[in-house]
Order: sequence, then structure tokens, then C-alpha cells
Amino acid sequence: MSTPASSSTIGPRGGAVAMASSERPRRSAATWLASLFFAGALLFGGIALALGDVFYLRLATEALIFGGLALSVDLLLGRVGLLPLGQALFFGLGAYVSALVLKNWSDSFWLALGVTLAFSAVAGLIGGLIAIRAKGVYFALISFGLAQVLSKVVYNTRELGASDGIIGVPSANIMMGVSSAAPSGFFLVVLTFIGALYLVLRYLMDTPVGRQLDAIRTNEHRVSFLGDDPWRYKLGAFVAAACIAGCSGALYPMLRGFVSPELMFFQVSGNAVINVIVGGTGTLIGPLYGSAILTGLRSVVGSFTTHHHIVIGVLFVMVVILMPRGLIGYATPALQRWLDARRNQKENR
Amino acid sequence: MNPILSVKGISVQFGALKAVQDVSFEAQPGKITAVIGPNGAGKSSLFNLISGAIRPSSGSVRFDGEDVTGRAPHQLLRYGLSRSFQITNLFFELPVRENLRLAAQYLEQGRGLFRPLARSQAAAARVDELLEQFDLRSKADELAGYLSHGEQRRLEIAVSLASRPRMLLLDEPTQGMSHGDTRETEALIRGLSRNHGLSILLVEHDVDLVMQLSDFVVVMHQGQKLAEGTPAEVRANPAVQAAYFGEKH
Repeated sequence: MSTPASSSTIGPRGGAVAMASSERPRRSAATWLASLFFAGALLFGGIALALGDVFYLRLATEALIFGGLALSVDLLLGRVGLLPLGQALFFGLGAYVSALVLKNWSDSFWLALGVTLAFSAVAGLIGGLIAIRAKGVYFALISFGLAQVLSKVVYNTRELGASDGIIGVPSANIMMGVSSAAPSGFFLVVLTFIGALYLVLRYLMDTPVGRQLDAIRTNEHRVSFLGDDPWRYKLGAFVAAACIAGCSGALYPMLRGFVSPELMFFQVSGNAVINVIVGGTGTLIGPLYGSAILTGLRSVVGSFTTHHHIVIGVLFVMVVILMPRGLIGYATPALQRWLDARRNQKENR
Repeated sequence: MNPILSVKGISVQFGALKAVQDVSFEAQPGKITAVIGPNGAGKSSLFNLISGAIRPSSGSVRFDGEDVTGRAPHQLLRYGLSRSFQITNLFFELPVRENLRLAAQYLEQGRGLFRPLARSQAAAARVDELLEQFDLRSKADELAGYLSHGEQRRLEIAVSLASRPRMLLLDEPTQGMSHGDTRETEALIRGLSRNHGLSILLVEHDVDLVMQLSDFVVVMHQGQKLAEGTPAEVRANPAVQAAYFGEKH
């Protein structure tokens, strides 16, 4: 977390509030870093399209989809202070629901997303009612346990393809002839989806609701003496996180054409937490950077050696020791200081 | 005058320990009522029973005529009952202003929860008022965790007052304060009662402070009420002298 760096009104997360004077509203470091991410993604998409690449475009789309899962983890871990070790439950559930809708009902992107949203909300409500009762390690273990249970149920259900999962999921029809089969078109759709998620979450964090989540993370006990029941906020955040994870998961079968029980396994939940921590917990854009960097790294290192987990593991340990606030957790205040200094220079000139 | 707070036959038991046994007392509106007693007398338990932090085994609490026994803390605030904490209980990682805003958000009555913070004007106005009243304006943008102990104790009371409660429960408001800070807090509490008509119930260790400040004193001893009355009456009570002042002085 950054401390107020200048005399202007700055929120606890360093988001600069537009000033009332005639000068143009100043962009905060967080805004620059977010703009850089989405501009970089667009540039990447453009280059890939020009070169006629499919592999890296698909990989980048997958990174963004896992970025959505990481955003849901960041909402719980970075805001409410709850560590979800089983967030893949909702991601995998979304992937399965979406795959079943696409395969059995209709190839409509919007129908698949809508049905997934409904299932995720109900699952989030049930999971939340069970898990929110606990705190700290106990919450983490309950969320882990719930994901284990569901993944084993799916793994052993013949109707859902058991250990093979569901293959041959048709591509989704998005709009005006754009289908998820088009690598660059679907990349843009996913980028827009994740961008919208990011903007909505970032907006919410500077409303009374979002700040209440910060307050709960900082001192939940006191919140209940300020006239609000923290439980409702925690449940609301849990359901929202389930919906975000579920809808991100819904995009997966559209991209890859299959789903498997592995999507619910701890590997996926654990990777999401690592993406968040490496990128910067509580920064929202950090988890997207984390997902992009680590998904890329896993794939690139994985093509040289099957032991890429070792590389990722060592990297994770180094980041946690050397920069516990994550890449963006460090970059944001540093960039903010530089921006402030440059601005002061301009004013003094 | 009808009492604002009326506690009747309240008891709580933790395992075999009867922390509070059959205690009854009343607090008058606009007055300062104090609960005193030696360590382990059940003061804090009584306080937690009234503020909803723990549920009583038996007995009742009425606030302004309404039964509020066993209500959760966030529900009590709706009746106009707020509390502060003995061990400072703030949002240490958040700025002073944000601590107050979180508490003052109650004044918006749940409106605008999904709108930008700048729209919560009632809350913002209350924050400014409190920064002024509690002399915290120069510290508004500092993290609560970086304040001095005395400033944190002041912020603690300001946070409890942000929702404009009708009654404030103060748990050892001068705990760990220097002599000067204690004096200031004493004046502050008196001002809240005299100038703002706030009803106050406080639990205190500091007998001298209680005697100077309170309109009405309840003395606890071993989980039971030993005596009650004006400070002068309580001081003159032989049982109180034996149980409390005899030990201490």
C-alpha cells in the first residue's frame, strides 16, 4: 500500500483524486500501469495478427482467461483478506457449464455466459455460506476442501466425461459472425471482457462498498461496531469472486474446445494465487501482469524442459522474499514518486 | 425522567466463572454514568454485555424503552448506542480521515453504496467536523498506526462518535494516558455531555477521574453490584471503602 505522496487528496491505495483546480486531472501510476498492460496486449495482438501467428495468440488469450481467475482471487485476498485455495472450483464449474451449454443447447456465446453466471452465483452463495464462517487458515482450508470435493465428483462422473472431461466443444458464436474459433477476434473479445472486469472492480474499490472491504481486511472486529454487518460484505465479495472466476472459466472451452477435471484441481487454484502474489496483491492490475508473465514463462520454459515447475517455484520464492508486495506493488509507488517529481519540476519551471 | 439505559438482573457465566451476577442499574439521559471496581470485578464483562459483544445468560438491557438484550453491535448502533474500546481498536493501516469516513458512512443510511465516495457528502461533512472537534486536522492524511498513543485514544472516541449516537459507551478512555492527556480527555468527555447532551456510560480504573467526572457511579465487586449513587454517596459508603478504596489507598 502506498502512503500519501503529495498534498493532493489520495486514497489509501494511491489512486489520485481529480483535483478541483483548472489543471487537467492527473493520471495516477496505477492508471499508467493499467494503460500499459492493455496497450501492450493490443500491440501484441496486432503483431501476432500481422505475422499470422496462432499459437502465441491462443496462449495470450489463455493468459487473460487465467487473469480473470486471478482477479477473483485478488478481490478476496487483496481486499477482504481471505486466501482462497480453491478458487478453481468456480473456474472449472464455469468451464463445464459453458462447455455443456455450447455442446448440447446452442452455440451462443451470450447464452453460455449467462447460464454460467447464474450457476456461479448459486455455487458462490452456497460455498460462501459454508466458507465465510471461518477466517485465516481455516477459510483457506475450507475453500481448498470444497474444490477437492467437486473436482473428485466430476472426475468420477461418467456423464461429465469422468477423467477425460468433455471434448469436441463447438466454438461459440459471439456476434456478427465473430466466432471464438478466430484467434485474433476471440483474443480481442477476451481482452475486452477482462478490461471491463478490471474497470468495474477498480471503480468499486473507491465506493463505500469497496472501502468497507478494505476496512474488514484491516480490522473486521471494529467494522461491526460501525453499524454494518461485515458478514454480508464478505458473502457479497465471495459471490462476486465466484461469478468472476466462473465467467472467466466459461471462456476456456471456447478457446480450447475441451474441458477436463484438471481445471478444478489445486494446480489451477495455486497458480492463480501465485499469479496474484507475484503480480502484486490488492493492485488488481498486478494479477493480470502476473498471469501474463507466468503463463508465458510456464509455456516457454515448459517447451525446453518438463521441470518448469522448478523454475516457477524458485521465481515465486524469490519474489516473496525480495519483493513481498509483488511486481506492481513495487512499481506503482516508484512510478508515482517519479510522476510527482516530474510534475513538481514542471510547475516550478 | 425516563432512563435512557436500563439494565435489569443481567448475568453472564464463562464456564464455572460467574463474571456478572444479577446486576441492575439505570443511566439517565444527558448524564455521565460510571462503572468502577477493582480488577476482575466484572466491569468489562458488564460493558460487553451492554454493547452486544457478548450475550447475557439472563437479564435484560433496555435502551430508550426498547429491549435490546443480546442484539448484535451493528444493530445497537441503529438505536443510537455506540462504544469505544479499551485497547485501541482502529484501522491502523488506513489514514485518519478514512478511519473517520468509514464510521461516518453510517450517516448515509446505506445510500450511495455503489457511487463514488465524493457523493457521500453527509459523511464527508461529519469527518471535517470531527477532525476539527478532536484536533486531528493536521494528522488527517497520516495512517492511524503512526499516531501517538494519546492521538489514537482521541481518534478512538471520534470514530465512536461519527454516527452521532445518543449514548456513548467508553471503555477506559484514559487507559495508558499521560497526566496531561488524561486531563484533556476528561474535559473532552465533560464537554460532550454538557454541550452536546450526549449520554455517557464509562468504565474506568481511575477513581479520581470518575469522582470528578461522573453524575452517577455504579461500583462492582466480584461480579456483583456493591453500591450505586452520586460520587459523594459512593465515597461515603462503608462497604465500598472496605472493598475498593481500602485496598487501593
